[in-house]
Amino acid sequence: MSQLFVIAVRNLIQHRKRTFLLGGAISGVTGLLVLLLCLSTGIRETMLESATTLMTGHINVGGFYKVTAGQSAPVVTEYKKVLEIVKRTLPDIDYIAPRGRGWSRLVSSNASMQVGIGGINIEKEPRFKEVVRMIEGKVDDLAQPNTILLFELQAKKLGVHVGDTLTFSALTPRGVSNTIDVRVIGVAQDIGLLSSFNVFIPESSLRELNQINEDTTGALLIYLKDLRKAPEDIAKVRKALGDAGYRLMDSEAKAFFFKFESVNREEWTGQKIDLTTWDEEISFFKWTLTAIEGLMYVLTVILLIIISIGIMNSMWIAIRERTREIGTLRAIGMQRTRVLVMFLIEAFTLGTSGTVLGAGIGILLALLLNVAQIHLPMGAQYILLSSTLKFAVDPSRILTGMLVITGCTTLISVIPSTQAARLKPITAMQHIG
Amino acid sequence: MRILLQHFGIYGMLLLSIVVQADPLPTKAPDTVQMVELLKGIDMRIRSSGDFKSLVYLEQREKDKADVVREAIVYRRDADEKLMILFSKPKGEAGKGYLRMEKNLWFYDPTVGKWERRTDRERIAGTDSRRQDFDQSKLAEEYNPTFEGEEKLGAFSVWVLKLRAKDGVDVAYPIVKLWIDKATGNDLKRQDFALSNRLMRTSYVPKWEKLYSESKKAELWYRKENRIFDEIDKGNSTLVIVRSIDLHSLPENIFSKAWMEAKSR
Repeated sequence: MSQLFVIAVRNLIQHRKRTFLLGGAISGVTGLLVLLLCLSTGIRETMLESATTLMTGHINVGGFYKVTAGQSAPVVTEYKKVLEIVKRTLPDIDYIAPRGRGWSRLVSSNASMQVGIGGINIEKEPRFKEVVRMIEGKVDDLAQPNTILLFELQAKKLGVHVGDTLTFSALTPRGVSNTIDVRVIGVAQDIGLLSSFNVFIPESSLRELNQINEDTTGALLIYLKDLRKAPEDIAKVRKALGDAGYRLMDSEAKAFFFKFESVNREEWTGQKIDLTTWDEEISFFKWTLTAIEGLMYVLTVILLIIISIGIMNSMWIAIRERTREIGTLRAIGMQRTRVLVMFLIEAFTLGTSGTVLGAGIGILLALLLNVAQIHLPMGAQYILLSSTLKFAVDPSRILTGMLVITGCTTLISVIPSTQAARLKPITAMQHIG
Repeated sequence: MRILLQHFGIYGMLLLSIVVQADPLPTKAPDTVQMVELLKGIDMRIRSSGDFKSLVYLEQREKDKADVVREAIVYRRDADEKLMILFSKPKGEAGKGYLRMEKNLWFYDPTVGKWERRTDRERIAGTDSRRQDFDQSKLAEEYNPTFEGEEKLGAFSVWVLKLRAKDGVDVAYPIVKLWIDKATGNDLKRQDFALSNRLMRTSYVPKWEKLYSESKKAELWYRKENRIFDEIDKGNSTLVIVRSIDLHSLPENIFSKAWMEAKSR
């Protein structure tokens, strides 16, 4: 086998020009695929980090309380009992943070806007401080009652700075108008779509606005040590809460604010618990990631087809050029299978070296682009949840990509290699060309 | 008064019509019983015992936005607590509507062909008006009045009452301040407050009108004009004008989703 490998390598070196062109093409496709994989991994990581801090836990125990059939509030009543059950069911988690949920008109002296409100206990959510990058003010001041944290665009639209006062005007779960005044304690950097409609106030202030008691919260945001366990853990919580007699909503991959319409249409009243995972809560903008990945795979497949045709053609040419050589090898006793393997090894060697080189270039380029901190236009920021383009290396995804490309280039060589192996020694030796 | 003049102009104020009221109205500061009677008086005057249909214009003014004028037909059957608001203009709004059935307010959008259950106390078509501004009045049933004093509202002498929502009654505004014309018993000004005591909106009624109702065997009153000013989002306001009233019987099945869907096509 080592002899065949040496022959294959020598052949590749001998036909430098062809090897350089084909290997270059394979490297190019691999490099592009690796770069796109790094981009999609970067987007996925940014999305996960931003979303699981700003609007969802890894698992969420939320729900709706309906005073009348048509009037629902996104709250969990008597949440401390629910919290106990969750803690008992999932003893090995990172932490749980109760988060208020609300929807209100936010009014300044210049403008107004509809916003989603996150009622946050800043002391209990350490990750929040790591994700939110402040432009003005201090995030820790959110511990003070009747304060608000805004994002850059919101502050600009409302025409406010740190220290200014805003008014929330909302309907309580019973449908009664209420207001609270809040002081701006900080303006944070925009985080795309998520920061366009979300603001944060202390949970106590949200309770005051919504006139709800201490034992009611919006949702329990559960953060796991191992995110991959989310589907398994949510099933455990579902069972435990069901056994404890809680009414559970059917699983639906939608953010809670998209469920009002269907919840209001249903006739039930009282409390129902809704369990969701992080990817269900952000399903409304996860399509961007799916689209990018879809585009990436389509592009790769097209390039792979072109490369494969190129490789097959080159192999045909190589076999034609080396027909007499094949005849000689066969005449001195080389088996057909060994001829086949020899050509396959040649294609495999070419594919492997091309993909390794391409992956190296792709990773290097991704790291360089990361360092360059390429600033994204506003439209792209909105979707990608980041102000700069981020690339992240996921070795397993890159390795899979490399294996696929090498596999394709090797497999496509089976046809011309089989053709070469079938040649009769006498015919091959008489070949003029 | 200054606010009134700012909002309507002097000509607007001249439109305030004086109504001669048959029922005896208090001549001095009313006690609780008399205040409840004043509220019942307003409720009764507005209430229609038969069917009610009116053509309404809604003019919405919002800061930094173009004014939006909507036309709607309001159908009422007070005995059954039924209400329907069907928009006919502008083109983009035509066919949309609200239907109140068994204490539920439904919204229909023909472009998506879907019904959405909405809270009974939400804004109508995103304006400053609420369902209550188009429906029958239930002031005496929903609020407890206290006497605030006497005032001059332009040329009119008014009683000022503060109303607080009764326990267990859910209303959009838990505190209401009413300026009631001493001579007629009609409310000329109203202020709605939030739970936090914050003033949410101020409404002026520069024009009341009446017509004879056969089914009621009495006069039926309606607010010809209602000017609603948003006190939170200053600069936003809504003008509601009732153009015409029809008290003839409506089809029996009119207050149904099927009827509204058919009408919206």
